[in-house]
Amino acid sequence: MLSFTDDGIVRYLNDTLARTLGYGEEELLGKHVESLLTIAGRIFYQTHFFPLLRLHGEASEIFLLLRHRDGTDIGAIVNARRRERDGTTLSDCTLMEVRERRRYEDELLRAKRAAEAANAELQARTTEVERVNALLLEQAAALEKQADQLREQAAELEVQSEELQALNDELMDRGEELELARSIAEEANRAKSIFLANMSHELRTPLNAIGGYVQLLEMEIHGPVTDDQRATLGRISRSQRHLLHLIDDLLNLARIEAGRVDYHLERVTTADLISGVLPMIEPQLATARLSLSVSATPGIVAVADREKAEQVLINLLTNAVKFTPAGGRVTVEACIAPEGEFALVSVGDSGIGIAPDQLQSIFEPFVQLRVRKSEGTGLGLAISRDLARGMGGDLRASSTPGKGSVFSLALPLAPPAG
Amino acid sequence: MHAMTVDVIRRNNVVVRGRGTQPMLFAHGFGCDQNMWRYVAPAFEDDYRVVLFDYVGAGKSDWTAFDPGRYASLDGYAQDVLDVCHALDLRDTLFVGHSVSAMIGVLAANAEPERFASLVMVGPSPRYINDGTDYVGGFERADIEGLLETMDKNYIGWANFLAPAIMKNGERPELATELSDSFCAIDPVIAGQFARATFYADNRADLARVSVPSLVLQCADDIIAPRQVGEYVHRALPRSTFRQMMATGHCPHMSAPDETIRLIRDYLTGSAAA
Repeated sequence: MLSFTDDGIVRYLNDTLARTLGYGEEELLGKHVESLLTIAGRIFYQTHFFPLLRLHGEASEIFLLLRHRDGTDIGAIVNARRRERDGTTLSDCTLMEVRERRRYEDELLRAKRAAEAANAELQARTTEVERVNALLLEQAAALEKQADQLREQAAELEVQSEELQALNDELMDRGEELELARSIAEEANRAKSIFLANMSHELRTPLNAIGGYVQLLEMEIHGPVTDDQRATLGRISRSQRHLLHLIDDLLNLARIEAGRVDYHLERVTTADLISGVLPMIEPQLATARLSLSVSATPGIVAVADREKAEQVLINLLTNAVKFTPAGGRVTVEACIAPEGEFALVSVGDSGIGIAPDQLQSIFEPFVQLRVRKSEGTGLGLAISRDLARGMGGDLRASSTPGKGSVFSLALPLAPPAG
Repeated sequence: MHAMTVDVIRRNNVVVRGRGTQPMLFAHGFGCDQNMWRYVAPAFEDDYRVVLFDYVGAGKSDWTAFDPGRYASLDGYAQDVLDVCHALDLRDTLFVGHSVSAMIGVLAANAEPERFASLVMVGPSPRYINDGTDYVGGFERADIEGLLETMDKNYIGWANFLAPAIMKNGERPELATELSDSFCAIDPVIAGQFARATFYADNRADLARVSVPSLVLQCADDIIAPRQVGEYVHRALPRSTFRQMMATGHCPHMSAPDETIRLIRDYLTGSAAA
């Protein structure tokens, strides 16, 4: 326990805290609260902690580094509340020493940094593959041009066949260069695949271990668990699942971008697609207290991979549920696009909508508009659009800020059954 | 031109209040947003046109406008200040900057001195890192790395712990929105970059070029901007006034708003008379 004034002067400090910091009970009274902190902790106090307390009256679960008299650091979680007492405003804090939590957070931070480094590496390699590809294309174009010139010359100067032969030889050489460049590109691509597989393993294994151990603790294998501990385990578990999900999304995106997804195209009616996904989303609609209306023009047949089309629709419906306040409405419609080549399955919501200048960027990986209650990786729409395009279709978005958004999965119309 | 004006107002969440004509532009420091001026700015609304804004990446600004290249140094933030000046066509502006914004104001005033009447600097420091034996900024690079680590940990903590705890506070639901707007939801990458731009900056050479008059408000016992740093700023600025405050810490506008208001008002009325 600790109390200090807005000026930071310590007015009360209990014996436990004083002893934890290596002081006697009275020694820290009248000192500045900063003298309990590391230098980094003091900056954080002035730039974040104090403003938070002053503007909001309280601060919860703030991590601060305390400094022991002997100079060692002690991590602590601080909860604080500012209140009037006897004409003075004091901030009352409870501090919890957090060796264990700090260790987990260190692990988490290390994992996060490793993931960031891996991502940078992945990007570097992708750039390299793209560069080699571009080089290849350039060379192919140059070759094409030379071949054209050759043909012209052959027609005009048939008699100079010797010269033509020489040029032909050169062409052969170029072909070998081209072959070499192609094998370099293939090698780089193979390295990327191996790297992705490794990254998947390296990141998932410790994450699954975290999940497993949390379950063991929750099952009270190591002894009884208090309600607070159980709540904390729940948070660890949620974070673990979130991270796992993020990695899955990342790998899915990489796979789609590498063109390693097979599409099983078949004739499907849009009505079938809709009735296939609605049962999966209805519980979420009920929980979020949203109404649903479905209107589908009958008899529209599209060409699509049923499973992937359903995956896209579930993603769109989940987003609609996530971004629509309780009492709102979600609509599902199927029709033929005005230009006549596509079947459209549209999911509309009565949420806050999206500003026109943000409509494009929502399809970029990792972009999430600023609605903080939502969870997720920001990869959903990027993956959905890639899947739609993989089926020869597309994903379209339109929105009126304040009124809601409509996302449409466009699928090629099937030719009339013969 | 008109379209661009509208864009900056929205991008920087610009708020204009007050009944005066001369503009008074308040710039927040690192770690917060324009909310930090709520105990000081209203006192000037009778006499000035009070302008508040959030830097891109802070508060309710448009975060999608955050360009890591532009905001890699304080110049990008100074451009935000100038963009706001252009958008509202501010002239003869009284600029009030807290902490890092004092130096951002210096950069803006050096770029377009004709727009500024004076600079009020609350807790300024032109360089936070010690430099050999000649200059004591107060910190070593390791201290700043420690700050970045503490921030990182709190963003993990806030995302998972703080928000739900606040959400549970049924008596004061407005806390949830405001808190997530200004603190909880700040993007850790943006916050880290702002911290680096702030604490690794060296603006000592820019001070001598300031042509407009300035006021240095120095707190007592300010770890972030110690007295010798404030005095350095005062010596280096050609036309500056130095006022030592009773207030302690680094945020007098939040811990001692009355004294802060009084000293700024004294300075402004004094220079108006001069």
